[in-house]
Amino acid sequence: MHPLLNRKNFLTQASTALGSIALTSLLSSDRLLASGKSSESAVQIDPANPYAPRAPHFQAKAKNVLVIFCAGAVSQLETWDYKPKLIEWDDRPLPGGPSVTFQGPAGNLARPQYTFRQRGQSGKFVSDLLPHLADLTDDIAFVHSLTSKSNTHGPAENFLSTGFNLDGFPSLGAWVTYALGSQCENLPAYVAIPDPRGVPQNGSNNWGPGFLPAAFQGTTFSASDPVRHLKVADSNETAEAATRKLLEKIQRRHLDQFPDDAQLAARIASYELAARMQLSVPMITDIDREPAHVLKAYGADDSSNKEKAAFARNCILARRLIQSGVRFVQLFNGAYASAGKLNWDGHNDLKNQYDVHAAIMDQPVAALIRDLKASGLLDETLVVWCTEFGRMPFFQKGAKGRDHNPDGFTCWMTGAGIRGGVSHGQTDELGVKAIEDIHPLYDFNATILHLLGLDHERLTYQHNGIQRRLTNVEGAVIQPILR
Amino acid sequence: MRRLIQFFLASIHNGFTRFATLGVVFFAIWNPCLRLSQGTLQAQEPLTLSTVDFVRDVRPIFENHCYGCHGKDKQKSGFRLDIKSRALHGGDNYGPLIDPSTPGKSPILDWVSNPNPSERMPPNDSGYPALSTDQVEKLKAWIQAGAPWPDGIDTTELPDPKNHWSFKPLNKEHSTLSIDDLVAEKLKRSGLDFSPMATAIQWLRRISFDLHGLPPDPELAKWFSSHHDQPNAYERVVDELLASPRYAERWAQHWLDVVRYADTHGFEVNTERPHAWHYRDYVIQALDNDLPFKEFIRQQIAGDGLGQDTATGFLITASVLLPGQIGADEPSKRLARQDAIDEIVVNIGQSFLGLSIGCARCHDHKFDPITQEDYYAMQAFVAGVEYEDRIVDTPWANEQKTLQELIDKELHAIDQQLRKYEPVARPQSAPADVPNSIENIVRFDPKPARFVKLEIWDANLHPTLGLIEPCIDELEVWTLGNDAKNVALANYGTKATASGSRESQIHKLQHIHDGITGNSSSWMSDQSGRGWVLLELSNVETISKIVWGRDRLGQFNDRTATAYRIQIGTDPNQLEDIQKVLPQRPVVQPTMNLERITPTKTNSLRFTILETSNLEPCIDELEIFNAIGENVALAKHGTKVTSTGDSVSPNRHELRLINDGLYGNSHSWMSDTIGKGSLTFEFANQQHIESIVWGRDREGTYQDRLAIRYRIETLDSNGTWRIVADDSDRSVYPTDPATPKPHTLSNVAAYRLSDVESKAVKELENRRKELQAKRRTSQENQKAFAGKFRTPDPIHLLHRGDPEQPRQSIAPAIPSFFGSIQLDPSASDKQRRLAIADWIASDTNPLTPRVIANRIWQGHFGIGLVETSNDFGLNGTPPTNPELLDWLAVRLIESNWSLKSLHRLIVLSRTYRQVAQSNQAGNSTDADARLLWRYPRRRLEAESLRDSILFVSGQLSLTMYGRGFDLYQQESETLFSAPLIVPMRVKARAYDAPRRLRFKR
Repeated sequence: MHPLLNRKNFLTQASTALGSIALTSLLSSDRLLASGKSSESAVQIDPANPYAPRAPHFQAKAKNVLVIFCAGAVSQLETWDYKPKLIEWDDRPLPGGPSVTFQGPAGNLARPQYTFRQRGQSGKFVSDLLPHLADLTDDIAFVHSLTSKSNTHGPAENFLSTGFNLDGFPSLGAWVTYALGSQCENLPAYVAIPDPRGVPQNGSNNWGPGFLPAAFQGTTFSASDPVRHLKVADSNETAEAATRKLLEKIQRRHLDQFPDDAQLAARIASYELAARMQLSVPMITDIDREPAHVLKAYGADDSSNKEKAAFARNCILARRLIQSGVRFVQLFNGAYASAGKLNWDGHNDLKNQYDVHAAIMDQPVAALIRDLKASGLLDETLVVWCTEFGRMPFFQKGAKGRDHNPDGFTCWMTGAGIRGGVSHGQTDELGVKAIEDIHPLYDFNATILHLLGLDHERLTYQHNGIQRRLTNVEGAVIQPILR
Repeated sequence: MRRLIQFFLASIHNGFTRFATLGVVFFAIWNPCLRLSQGTLQAQEPLTLSTVDFVRDVRPIFENHCYGCHGKDKQKSGFRLDIKSRALHGGDNYGPLIDPSTPGKSPILDWVSNPNPSERMPPNDSGYPALSTDQVEKLKAWIQAGAPWPDGIDTTELPDPKNHWSFKPLNKEHSTLSIDDLVAEKLKRSGLDFSPMATAIQWLRRISFDLHGLPPDPELAKWFSSHHDQPNAYERVVDELLASPRYAERWAQHWLDVVRYADTHGFEVNTERPHAWHYRDYVIQALDNDLPFKEFIRQQIAGDGLGQDTATGFLITASVLLPGQIGADEPSKRLARQDAIDEIVVNIGQSFLGLSIGCARCHDHKFDPITQEDYYAMQAFVAGVEYEDRIVDTPWANEQKTLQELIDKELHAIDQQLRKYEPVARPQSAPADVPNSIENIVRFDPKPARFVKLEIWDANLHPTLGLIEPCIDELEVWTLGNDAKNVALANYGTKATASGSRESQIHKLQHIHDGITGNSSSWMSDQSGRGWVLLELSNVETISKIVWGRDRLGQFNDRTATAYRIQIGTDPNQLEDIQKVLPQRPVVQPTMNLERITPTKTNSLRFTILETSNLEPCIDELEIFNAIGENVALAKHGTKVTSTGDSVSPNRHELRLINDGLYGNSHSWMSDTIGKGSLTFEFANQQHIESIVWGRDREGTYQDRLAIRYRIETLDSNGTWRIVADDSDRSVYPTDPATPKPHTLSNVAAYRLSDVESKAVKELENRRKELQAKRRTSQENQKAFAGKFRTPDPIHLLHRGDPEQPRQSIAPAIPSFFGSIQLDPSASDKQRRLAIADWIASDTNPLTPRVIANRIWQGHFGIGLVETSNDFGLNGTPPTNPELLDWLAVRLIESNWSLKSLHRLIVLSRTYRQVAQSNQAGNSTDADARLLWRYPRRRLEAESLRDSILFVSGQLSLTMYGRGFDLYQQESETLFSAPLIVPMRVKARAYDAPRRLRFKR
């Protein structure tokens, strides 16, 4: 039984007096669906059907979005942003550089820890750290000049996912779901797939609804941690059907008592969706049904690397979700702060830790993109690879890793609406900060919305007296990477 | 470049400070361009003044080219050109763009006529065309004419904040009417009427949940169901409910929500604030006593000066970063401090005034009359507040303080007793052997022996456990010659005995001579730091070498004997010393060092420092104890001190402070010479000295300037200085800065103590440890998370809110729109907080009484008369019934700000007593029941739901106050659980708890 049904059941059985109070409270909880002054908010939500498909502002280039979120701040200098000058300057102090950065004293400049090689027709230099993804260089548009507002993981992850450093703001996926509704009848419109090793520092903020109606938050499950409590122990179809019937009866009675209650309809609608999901979710998370060659292509059969295999299964799940019409899929790679053990936060032992993390991320993600391309899904799916900030060109004093650098880092996109083989924006020759075509992450988010047919300035929600936006009062679409 | 400009303009808003520097750079590049273009312009013939008319010639240019971004709907960069006052004022952060005083030089001309299309206004991609030369000339002519802009011709008008309802004085016209009159008036206008009255029991349930957060008390329900039609029955119920502490608890929760109270710091790891609950308890007590609300305000902002020391917890309820969460770089620290002060301003603004003052952190408020300068002037009122625990003056804290004093007395007594067991100083000792933990070899001339005894007197200290039982993995006794063998081994028939053994799988007495090395086959004494082992060989053997170690595999280096004696002989009662390693006294400590000396009679004592850890030596206090335990160094005994030279910092470092009886860096003496200095104490009478105690900083804050080599001398009757103690018998202080500084838990060595004495020492030390733990607790218990107050930071206006771009310094002042209360920058922290509190809590402040009256109304009806209860500004929602709101506010002031009186008026009103049922007429006109044609249905909060379940099942504990409990372990009221800033508690979430938690940040 769905947890909501459970709770409802419990409350109706509670003492009559208390029960009726609780009922009142449940009803008003569902007011969430209709909250915000609908006359003032830009998107009209039908409380009875919050997931109804809604039209974008203009013709969209992308139908779906897949966000690959690499937590912990992937070093741009070891991956996509080639700095040959840094080889020359290896082990020398950065002239005029800061003596202390986020975590402490700065050491000497350090060369890229991996060899860079030219790839594909574009001849772009990409490092050997991620050989599978490097092969896709010609399909990718890189933005090398991104900046963040925070140099601390939690706030910076908030900024990346919600456009604000602070907690409490809606995630990108929630904004998209609020704007466009669902294109799928039996699965959530928005799914967040946590890394098998854990969730990023700022946790559920990455897929939370903030002040948007809770209906638009991401639903979390993964191949290794499917939705729980879909089946009730000691129950059967008949019993469940009877429960649903009783519930419906109670709801009808309530509707008779409060005939004006539009919210009841909404609640019934959401229960129906829940019931449909109960059936379809277990099917979609059953990765073992994939043929062996697919498991192999993704690395899901790699028994020598359990974490890679588990992450690869999440990648397969992501493909299946997109295939099934889930509009927004967030795929997390890397967990919370752990001195770089569980995510990309390479402060002390960057090379050794990146060897581990890249082995988990590279092949499965590359296979996922190839798979989407082969099936034609990439034409309508925007794939976004992102991380909260970059890393410094120098090592930390007494360590073999790099400190946080929010002043110039790289994320990329591929797929629907994206020009492949483009490198946009630049950091200086040592990679200290962005110097050309500087884009705060607002622009990156504005571009994602743009590809979905949404004008980031028009996608608003009235909250506490302010028309809120994903991009606050900033943001400009990064046109040069668009097709 | 184009992109730079665009970004620069866009980034002017709210907090995008990172790019501020970029902006400056940009201007440096930009300015020469400006001059160039001006040159071109000036070369042309200006239009004559008479030809330009604003409405005919200039406004159309603005309309067609500028209003799209700088007009009614959008004001990019905070600049609008459709209203005279705003147009002449300019945009955010810059001077005016139109400047008639220097014709031809107005920045607006440069913007519109820049020859470089990527640097011109309107921007290329804005969809608005560039100005023609003719248009530019018109504009130029207009500015040269002094930019004549007639008044009253603007098509849009700015709202005048002076006319804003909440900024006007309270309307006192309706004082003869009632709540119901004022509600009925509004209903009538919409063609509505009150709904029928709720039944007595419905009302009782409503008011019980409303005032207590619990279902009605069964006894009360029983009484009321049979008495409700008697006169004053309703009033009796209300009075009873309001008199109950449950009322205070329930409404304290509402207030704590307003001010964002939590028992944790927030951010990712959400560290506990163990002393936050004092403020929660203060709020409950204040409401229980119906403390006048304006006093409540004053106490929360400045309670430390008003006899309510814990009330100031209000100031620091926000989530802030803890030291480890702030970047190590200075800009990160400055930003964190700014964020912390900002939260206080935001809290004061929202909670009491319903003003979003915080919006003006980066720019002038977009809607309300609050300038950026006003914002920083508000910061200046609270710039001396730190988010820290403070030792408070409350009965509970004082009780703890008394307890601590008792503990201190006992600790002092224990220290005195332990002093008897301290090793006596052995001045001028030769450098000692330092045993190592792996292997120690003693070679000697061959001697016959049947008995070998290893007697341990002291061991090294375990890093956390201190002095523990020593351990030996193997004791070897070697014969002489080519066929030398270890005759200690059991298989030669050797027997081992010991003072006592701590036995386990791996530690056994027989392991000391089983031929197996390493910790897993070793002997451990059963006494801390002492013990002996005696080997009895089967025959007399000629031996020449003894070897022992603690762990020859090198895994362990604790439990190593550091002082010991090895004896051999043929007669167990007449053993001969082969090796004797005397215990060393502990390494010098910054906190305290004891020198127990051979008792000496003298008139004078000299303490000479020969070397320091660094810099000039500093000593906070030097105490000299005589045979009866008096500190005869004290100046009050007539002792005179001279020195070889002082570094003086008045009232901090002075020679007189060496023997003033006070500890700590701020009562200390400092020499004038790096590494050296000498102090001579001359007593009034001859003294029998037994010990000297000295330290660098007994409060433990400072570790530098420590004397690491020194000598102490007394003057004998012949006038000769004789050394009584020095550092030669102490463990050597590590001079390599990388080596961690050793610290000791105990000064007492086991050397030469009898078993009885050793046991006594152990007991005293255990008691001391216990007391020290208790002392820490009672010390902690004196604190409340109520803010630490210090000299206020100097406050500057921060360009774009960026701490890296400070501008002019700002004195504390209330927002200038509301008055002219301003303090001198020299005002103390306390004066500042009291001044802002007094302004807020005044009968004439138009906002304060309205805001709280609205909150009370909101508590009773779910939605306030003003829906945006934290925003009474121009962007907030206007009141649905302004007359009623003012009526409530006036009544509140008239009742000396009594909240209970206000509750009473509301819950006894007909408006409150209506049924909650819907009806067709009301529903079609006012579905949300904002006009109150029925009592609005409300959602029960998670706290009440949980507490109710426990209440009806008879499990709710009504114990009040004190430290928070774990919500899921106990049945206390939810209020006393430790609410968290971050929603981590899944169960509470299901019942809507996150709504109050999620946005706390």
